[in-house]
Amino acid sequence: MRTFLSALGVAIALISAVFQVHAQKETERFIPIGQSPGVSQKYTSIGEISEVDAARRTVTVAEQAGRRTVKITEKTRIWLDRTKLKQANLSGSFTDLQKGRRVEVKYEDPERPQVADWVKVEIARP
Amino acid sequence: MPAATRVLKPHQSAKLRVAGALLAAAASLAACNSKPPDPQAALIARGREVFFNETFSGNGRTCGTCHREARNFTIDAAFIATLPKNDALFVAEFNPDLKQNFENPRLMREFGLILENLDGFDDLANKFVMRGVPHVLAQRTSVASPQGPRTGWSGDGAPGDGSLRSFATGAVIQHFTKTLNRVAGVDFRLPTDAELDALEAFQLSLGRQADLALPLPLRGTVAKRGQEIFLDNGLGKCNVCHGNAGANLAPGNNANFNTGVEDLPDQPARLTGEKVPRDDGFGRPGDGTFNTPPLVEAADTGPFFHNNAIQTIEGAVAFFNGQAFNNSPSGRFLASTDPNGVGIRLDATQVVAVAAFLRVINGLENIRQSLELLTQSEALGFFDAARAKPLLMRAANETRDATAVLAGAGLHPQAVALLNEARRLAERAADSFFGRRSLTREAIQALERARADLIEGPK
Repeated sequence: MRTFLSALGVAIALISAVFQVHAQKETERFIPIGQSPGVSQKYTSIGEISEVDAARRTVTVAEQAGRRTVKITEKTRIWLDRTKLKQANLSGSFTDLQKGRRVEVKYEDPERPQVADWVKVEIARP
Repeated sequence: MPAATRVLKPHQSAKLRVAGALLAAAASLAACNSKPPDPQAALIARGREVFFNETFSGNGRTCGTCHREARNFTIDAAFIATLPKNDALFVAEFNPDLKQNFENPRLMREFGLILENLDGFDDLANKFVMRGVPHVLAQRTSVASPQGPRTGWSGDGAPGDGSLRSFATGAVIQHFTKTLNRVAGVDFRLPTDAELDALEAFQLSLGRQADLALPLPLRGTVAKRGQEIFLDNGLGKCNVCHGNAGANLAPGNNANFNTGVEDLPDQPARLTGEKVPRDDGFGRPGDGTFNTPPLVEAADTGPFFHNNAIQTIEGAVAFFNGQAFNNSPSGRFLASTDPNGVGIRLDATQVVAVAAFLRVINGLENIRQSLELLTQSEALGFFDAARAKPLLMRAANETRDATAVLAGAGLHPQAVALLNEARRLAERAADSFFGRRSLTREAIQALERARADLIEGPK
């Protein structure tokens, strides 16, 4: 019985380990650039888009610490931050990632920041 | 000679002057006899203030609008029915900008359900879930997991870093907005870092700070058998996922499971014919799993499960006996590891026994909290009645909860009588100036006698 119980406990622990925790991304859309709690400035880059490579689906962000190129995948969420226009934030697409626009990019993995988990693009002019 | 025109003799005047001076001196000494400020206590106090009073420039709601202290930091239909029409909970009923696609007033009033757009805000009319309000007690024991913090019913409730600290930011966006545009700085303001710190400290201070260590030396016959079934990993199997009647597989390992709640037939909200989309749980798209809540606080925080599908604790225990659970991934997994191929199969008396166990441990937790509050109140000075009163009223509420969870199943009538006495004493203490501390001590004694009826051994 003890062996059975131990095996059951290990099995359930293994199953629970499969479930990766992640943050609630839907409300993230409404958080302006630089204000994501526990994330902005720690696991994100904030700066201006200096280069866009549509073929490779990468953008280069010029931030204070230098330049960083990140890949935009199909899973990357892109939001238009229209807070300065006092308008609702919207979902965006790769074409909204334009040179000169201010962005905040969160990395999918802090250890390997080559892939973007989400990108907020500031839309300051109508 | 009438009293109003009586003139005091010199020695009588002198006595009055001395009495007045002594009272004033005592008041001054009480003010001087203060401990140095505790920064953590101050942070928690600030968090309490934000939780119950801060509207974040939104639609008038606060965290406390849904997480009501008087109702164990949750709400249900019975409590909602006592609220006035202009309560901020009902903002969708009187704010024209929130009339559509913000809440479902019928489901809120009838079942205590709140609308959430966990799968996105692009199609408000169709993409939403209806969930009950989870209590926020014992979160110090129930949020942590090796994969990171799990918040909310599906374990993915917080934006940003997903932590309990960040949860309030998401809650403000979802529930506090003035319009469906949800523009920061217009429809609400986001919590500051200091407010998030304070809210986290306050929430973590609520309720149990540690898990129980089962088995407990219970006195009640049925509850004792219920504990045995609970702990039997070949029969009740409850302890496998709810270790020590908490929320964890193991200390610090809170997990998500698909237990088939969404597959229950005749779910109350769906019986109304109102649109209630399927809730797919964790992630987007969801994987069907939901977060494991603690059970010590369960009996007085119903209805149960993420969708308030079950009203009573007995019904919640019986759920694990049924087809929805035993056909679920979790049920089938338990069956696959069982020598007889059984998931969970309890007979009626066994269901009642497990429920009795859960009622008793909830009652014990109510008593513990009440004793804590009464002890804090007793320690306050003679002139601290204003600070003591809210503690005493909260103690009375906790004691009332203990009475309800036990009396609700006819358990421990002697303890119930003592709890009623303790509650009356706490209420009298709250309204008494001179008798406050002695009445508080009597209430403590009544609670301790009630506790001794439920469990053996030292406190």
